[in-house]
Amino acid sequence: MNKFILAMLTISPLAIATAQDAAPTPAASPDVEGLRQQVQALTETVKALQQQVKDQQGKIDQINQQSAQNPQSPEPSPIAAAVASPSQTPSGSGSARFPTEDASVVSSSAGPLTSPAPGVTANAAAPPGSFPTTDTSVVSSAGETSPVAPAAPSLTAPITIGGGKNYMNISFDGLFALAYSSARDLNQIEVGDHDPQQRGFNARNIELAFDGAVDPYFEGFANIVFKLDNDNETSVEVEEAFMQTTDLPFNLQLKGGQFFAAFGRINPTHPHTWDFADDPLVHGLFLGPDGLRGVGGQLSWVVPVPWYSQLILGVQNGRGSTGFSFRNPGDNGIFFDRMTTDREMRGLEDFVWVPRWENSVDLSPTQVVLVGASGAFGSNDTGSNTRTQIYGGDFLYKWKSARAEGGFPFVKWQTEVMYRRFEAGRGMDDTFPVAETFHDWGMYSQVLWGFKKGWVVGVRGDYVNMQDSRFTDDPDRQSRSRVSADLTWYPTEFSKLRLQYNHDFLQENFLLPGRDVDSVFFQFEFILGSHGAHKF
Amino acid sequence: MKKTQLILFTILAAAASASAKLNVVATLPDFGSLAREIGGDKMNLVILAKPTEDPHFVDARPSFVVSLRNADVLIDGGAELEIGWLPPLLQNARNPKIEVGKPGRVQASQGIRLMNVPTNVTRAAGDVHALGNPHFMSDPIIAKAIAQHIAQSFSALDSANAGFYEGNYKKFEATINAKLQEWGAAMLPFKGQNVVAYHDSWPYFAHRFGLNIDIFLEPKPGIPPSPSHLTEVIAQMKAQHIKAIIIEPFHDRRIAEKVASATGAKVVDFSQFPGGLPGTDSYMKLIDALVSRLGAALK
Repeated sequence: MNKFILAMLTISPLAIATAQDAAPTPAASPDVEGLRQQVQALTETVKALQQQVKDQQGKIDQINQQSAQNPQSPEPSPIAAAVASPSQTPSGSGSARFPTEDASVVSSSAGPLTSPAPGVTANAAAPPGSFPTTDTSVVSSAGETSPVAPAAPSLTAPITIGGGKNYMNISFDGLFALAYSSARDLNQIEVGDHDPQQRGFNARNIELAFDGAVDPYFEGFANIVFKLDNDNETSVEVEEAFMQTTDLPFNLQLKGGQFFAAFGRINPTHPHTWDFADDPLVHGLFLGPDGLRGVGGQLSWVVPVPWYSQLILGVQNGRGSTGFSFRNPGDNGIFFDRMTTDREMRGLEDFVWVPRWENSVDLSPTQVVLVGASGAFGSNDTGSNTRTQIYGGDFLYKWKSARAEGGFPFVKWQTEVMYRRFEAGRGMDDTFPVAETFHDWGMYSQVLWGFKKGWVVGVRGDYVNMQDSRFTDDPDRQSRSRVSADLTWYPTEFSKLRLQYNHDFLQENFLLPGRDVDSVFFQFEFILGSHGAHKF
Repeated sequence: MKKTQLILFTILAAAASASAKLNVVATLPDFGSLAREIGGDKMNLVILAKPTEDPHFVDARPSFVVSLRNADVLIDGGAELEIGWLPPLLQNARNPKIEVGKPGRVQASQGIRLMNVPTNVTRAAGDVHALGNPHFMSDPIIAKAIAQHIAQSFSALDSANAGFYEGNYKKFEATINAKLQEWGAAMLPFKGQNVVAYHDSWPYFAHRFGLNIDIFLEPKPGIPPSPSHLTEVIAQMKAQHIKAIIIEPFHDRRIAEKVASATGAKVVDFSQFPGGLPGTDSYMKLIDALVSRLGAALK
């Protein structure tokens, strides 16, 4: 481009100079007459040429329109367009029986093979675009780079979705539910913040997700959730926003930002990937309605053993409702009926530390097992020096047919067990009558059967045992159990319709009466934008 | 203590074997088959997807992470066919040797002109691939090109055996060239014939062998056949006297059989992958099988 401009700059003064030379020449009249005739002839020629160009342009436009109108038809497809291909004109020659102009093929009966790719040497990796065949019906046109290569580095290029020609993948997900429950306080029955929270329609999880490579060293991910509360007011959550390394040695990876703690199987995943319309009880009651997530860092290491084994250590502030069992001041400064301290961090012990170890083996080419153990350790706000420990174990078994279409049929069994030791203090000003330590435990187990392409039926059992408190009637401390069944139809990967039935038992305890609740949810979801990959 | 020693030994053994041979991972069995032609016994090959399963939807199982972590070479399609499962595996594997742009990464679609690139992308059209149809390996000439790519990658990473890889490529190329004459001759009588397929996986095969495979049992890519669409297909098949319906191992055979019995056509078992049909453990045998099966049905 620069060279071209330079050339233009050099040429134009010359042209001006010659024009100036020509103009002031005093001309005799016969000469003028001759020139006039010449000019007239030239003008006519130019006119004729212009008309020709116009006609040709019209024809080109016509052709372009035709090919644009039926892009799916086989005729104008890029390969069929290789008109030189002998396939279009069957010839009697034995050497040109099939549709290629690849010299290495068509000449094979005539003579010895020649190397079809000039410039490709045995010891060099192929530069993109250089290709081992001369068949233009196969190879992309010269100069065209790989279809997956990033777009030309232009900062002004618009972000387009799809095709790998953008620097960021964007997707939008809308998750809605129509709910009925025999309980008027559905928000007390459902434990997850993105679960249906009222009779009628719910829009608790409308999210924007962004991801992409930041540079050769990092990749970035962000998930912004818009949530409509029961009064249809919108609140915004920065659910996740983190960067992680891509290029550390020794199978290490560092992650930093706001993210879901790697605890168990449900916690690190987003609600729209769940197999049921609501959160398992143990997850919502132990790790919190929004899951255990926060600003922090995480180091993970894929252990160099012959099976899949990964060690993860995360650290987060663990403060607020997303650090539910930890430094959580609670609603209106009350947690487990105690006035909370809501103190500033004193030292490393006030972080939440989240170690995890997960292992997986293939039992057979169609069966996989994954087993994990997690922990979450930190302080809580119910006393001046009170601690919380949560231990978790998770198990996943999956069978998928060797002839699976669209990922179906499959059977998936997932179970998580958690135990929580919670030192409940005497509150901010030691006014609560007792300090006590709660030993709570709970689990859920679910089986999903994808019986037909797009169709999944599931059952789930939930159980949470809360140790009776001597002085609290906090509904969060009521022992619970639940059975659920659901039927999901995925018309494609990008939409989902789900019908779910829940039966809840709320058990009587020291202060709270027991009751039974029936609920029915109809969940529907759509996804726009980039194709999210499925984690295992 | 003994256990630790055993584990250490296993790790060392794995490390030792890794240094001796190239560790090659192929996402799909067709790429794996080409790798085997080129690499012979000078490599360890792991193929992720099974030949009988839908390549669009493979579980990103954790054991794949281990294979990818140890890989010197990764051969993938690179045209969105594996987009639903490969990215999280690569993210977890953290293996710089197989990053895009490194000699250890062979993206098969690189440099290939893909067919049916949509002018605008909308999912209303079903599971359309923005980069074009990714089922390109059924064209033997494209396969030849990819085999050379693989040979170049292997030679770059293992220069001591470059001659071996190059020789194997030459052999493969010569076989394909000879076979093309044979396949071309076998398919010539059916030139211009229409064939129905369950899914739009065969434009490259159709182009290479002069067939028209433009009618599908799926109303749109990835959308299951609906009764109304099948009625339409049956009418088209009758009008055009179509004799064959090709399906892959993971498709619902009963649907194809219903359409076949309504039209008098034959259901032909096809596969994109070596191993997807009995007795097809190599690429050559697969194309042999496809050509002979289709030829028999169209006769």
